[in-house]
Amino acid sequence: MTMKILIVEDEPKTGDYLKQGLCEAGFSADLVRNGLDGMHEGLSGGYDLMILDVNLPSLDGWQVLKALRAAGRDFPVLFLTARDQVEDRVKGLELGADDYLVKPFAFSELLARVRTLLRRGRAKEVEKLCLADLELDVLKRRATRANQRIDLTAKEFALLELFLRRQSEVLSRSFIASQVWDMNFDSDTNVVEVAIRRLRAKVDDDFNPKLIHTLRGMGYVLEIR
Amino acid sequence: MNMSHWRNSITLRLSVAFALLATLIFTALGLYLSKAADDHMAELDAHELHSKLAQVSQTGIHEPSISAFATRLNDQFASEHGLIVLVEGRHGIVFNWPHGNPIPSGLTTNHLTHAAPERIDLGEQQFRMVTGTAQSGWGENLRITVASDIAHHTDFLSHLQRDFWLAVLAAACLTVLVGMWISRQGMRRVSDIAHAAGRISAGQLSERISEQEIPTELAELVSAFNAMLGRLEESFQRLSDFSADLAHELRTPIHSLRMQTEVSLSQTRDINEYRDLLSSNLEEYDRLSRIIADMLFLAKADHGLVIPGKGTVQLRPLCQRLCDYYGILANAQSISISGEDIAVLGDNLMLERAIGNLLANAIHHTPEDGNVSIHLESQNGVALITVSNTGPMIPVSVQERIFERFVRLDEHGYEGNGLGLAITKSIVLAHKGSISVQSTEAGTEFCVQLSLTYTSPNTAVSGSASVSIG
Repeated sequence: MTMKILIVEDEPKTGDYLKQGLCEAGFSADLVRNGLDGMHEGLSGGYDLMILDVNLPSLDGWQVLKALRAAGRDFPVLFLTARDQVEDRVKGLELGADDYLVKPFAFSELLARVRTLLRRGRAKEVEKLCLADLELDVLKRRATRANQRIDLTAKEFALLELFLRRQSEVLSRSFIASQVWDMNFDSDTNVVEVAIRRLRAKVDDDFNPKLIHTLRGMGYVLEIR
Repeated sequence: MNMSHWRNSITLRLSVAFALLATLIFTALGLYLSKAADDHMAELDAHELHSKLAQVSQTGIHEPSISAFATRLNDQFASEHGLIVLVEGRHGIVFNWPHGNPIPSGLTTNHLTHAAPERIDLGEQQFRMVTGTAQSGWGENLRITVASDIAHHTDFLSHLQRDFWLAVLAAACLTVLVGMWISRQGMRRVSDIAHAAGRISAGQLSERISEQEIPTELAELVSAFNAMLGRLEESFQRLSDFSADLAHELRTPIHSLRMQTEVSLSQTRDINEYRDLLSSNLEEYDRLSRIIADMLFLAKADHGLVIPGKGTVQLRPLCQRLCDYYGILANAQSISISGEDIAVLGDNLMLERAIGNLLANAIHHTPEDGNVSIHLESQNGVALITVSNTGPMIPVSVQERIFERFVRLDEHGYEGNGLGLAITKSIVLAHKGSISVQSTEAGTEFCVQLSLTYTSPNTAVSGSASVSIG
C-alpha cells in the first residue's frame, strides 16, 4: 500500500522538489503551501505522515502541529526548521513532533527519516537479516557471506546491520554517523567514507555480487544491482 | 524634546549655578552691609540724642526759672527738625518741642530705664528716644525725653536696599550670560571633538583625534575615544579580512561548479556523464552549505548568541565515543585516553564537536608511527582536557593565529574548511572556558579548560536535544 505524505512548505522550489522526490521514492505526496491549508488537509486527508515547515504564512508550523494533536491526529510529523536552535527543536518535540531536520538538509537524509518514522511501531525486530548470500545474526552477533564467517568490529557490525535494515535506501554520511557512532554534528571529515571502505573490504571485496554501492554526493546504499 | 535638551545642557546648568552662587554671595553681602548701615545710623542717632539730652539737662541746671528754661530751649532748638523734646516736672509738662504738635502718645508712655536709645515704631513714624533725669535750677527734678524721628534714615536704608536688590538681579542676569559664554567657550572643545568624531567613517578608522592642545579635563575622554577607535579598527580589519576570506572560500567552489556545469552543457553527453556532473555538483553544494553553516555558527558565537545547554557532560564516555569515531581515520597512529572521568556543565553536542575537531586535527597531523592522546584531569575546580599528538611542530607564526578562521596548516590534502579550530574555540568560550596551544619539536598540545560541575549525575539534565532514530 502506498503511504500518503502531506508536505506543508511555502518555499516554492523546496516544496516542488520535496514532492517530486517523495513521489519518485514511491510515496504518494501532496503539497500545500500555507499553514491554514496544511491544518485543513492534515485534519481531513487521512495521511500517514506530515512534513511540516515551521515558518509558514497564515498559521505557523507550531500552531498547525498543536491543532492536529489537539484533534487527536497522531500520525508522525517531521518538522523542518531553518534555525538551528536548541529551543526550536525542544519546542517542536514537546508539541508532539516526532523528528526534525534543520535546513538545508540532504534529501537522502529526509527520506531516511521519513522511512524510519513510517516504520516505527510496525517493524518487528528481525533477528536474522540477509541480502543475497550475506547474512547477519543480530542476536549472535555473527556475520557470514557465502557461509564464510566475517570478522567485524562492533561498529562495523552496527554499520552493516543498519545497511541491512535499510536495504535499497540511500543513507547519507551524516545519517550513518548519527546512527552508528551517535555523532550528531555535521563533521567534514571522511570518517564514514573510511569506515565504509573497510566494511567493503570485508564484505564485498572477495565476493560477488557487490552489495554496498556509493552514490556520489549522496551517500551509500545496500542492494543487489 | 527642547525641554529635555535644555535640562541636559551643561552650559545652562553651569550658568544657572553661577547665577545662583552670585545671587547668594551678593545677598549675603547686602544683608551684611544693610545691617552695618543700620547699626551705624543707630550709633549716630544715639550720639545725637545723648548730646541733646545733656544739653537739656545742662540748660535745666543753669536756668533759674521754668520760663527762662523754656525760652532758652526754644532758642537752642529753633533750627532742629525732626527732634522731639519733652521735659516733665513735678506738675506735668514743663517744656515740649516742637510747639503745637502733640507729642505722639507712644513716646510719653515709654519709660526707659537704661541709657541706650530705644527704637520705637509708631505705625508710620519711627523714633529713636532716650530719657534722663536732671536737677533744675529752680529746684525741681526733671524728667527729660529726647526723641528723634528717624524716617529719613529708614528711607535712605530702604532706597539703598532696593537699589541693592536691583544690582543683585542685574548681576545675576549678567552672570548667567557671562557664564553661558564662558561655558560655551569651554564646551567648544567638546564640539570640536564631536566634529572630529563625525568625520570618522568605516573607511577612515585610522584617524585619531589629536591629543595635543586638549584641555586636561577632556584628555581622558579623547584618549578613551581614541582607544575605542583603535579597537574598532582592529575588529573592523578582522571583519573585512574575514569577509574577504569568506568571499574567497565561497567563490572557489562556485567557480568550479560553474566551469564544470558550463563545460558539460557545451555539448550533448552520455547520461552517465550528466549523472557524474550532478553528483560532483552535489558534493560542492554540500561543502558550501557546510561552510555557510559553520560561518553562521561562528557569527552567532561572535554575538554571544550561542548559548550552550546546561547539562552534566561526562567527559570520559564522550571522549571514548569520539575516539571510536575518529579513530577510524587513524592508520597506524595510536590513540589513547588517560586520566579520570570528570563531569562538566555544558552542552553535550557542542562539546562533542569542540573536542572532536581537536581530535580530528590531531590525528590528521600525526605521522603513521605517532601517538594521539587525550588526557582528562581536574585541577582546582577546573576540568583540563588535553589533546596532544606527536606531530610536527606548528610554526610559531601559525600558532598565534591558529584559532582564527580559515587558517590552515597545510593548504592541500586535508578536507577541513579551516573553521574547525575557530568553532572549537567559540564553543569553549561560550562555555566560559579557555583554550591554548603549545607546540614544540616533540609534539603539539591543545589544552581546554572548563569549569567542573558539582551536580550529581542523577539530577542532571541532558544537555543536548538531539533525537535518536532507529
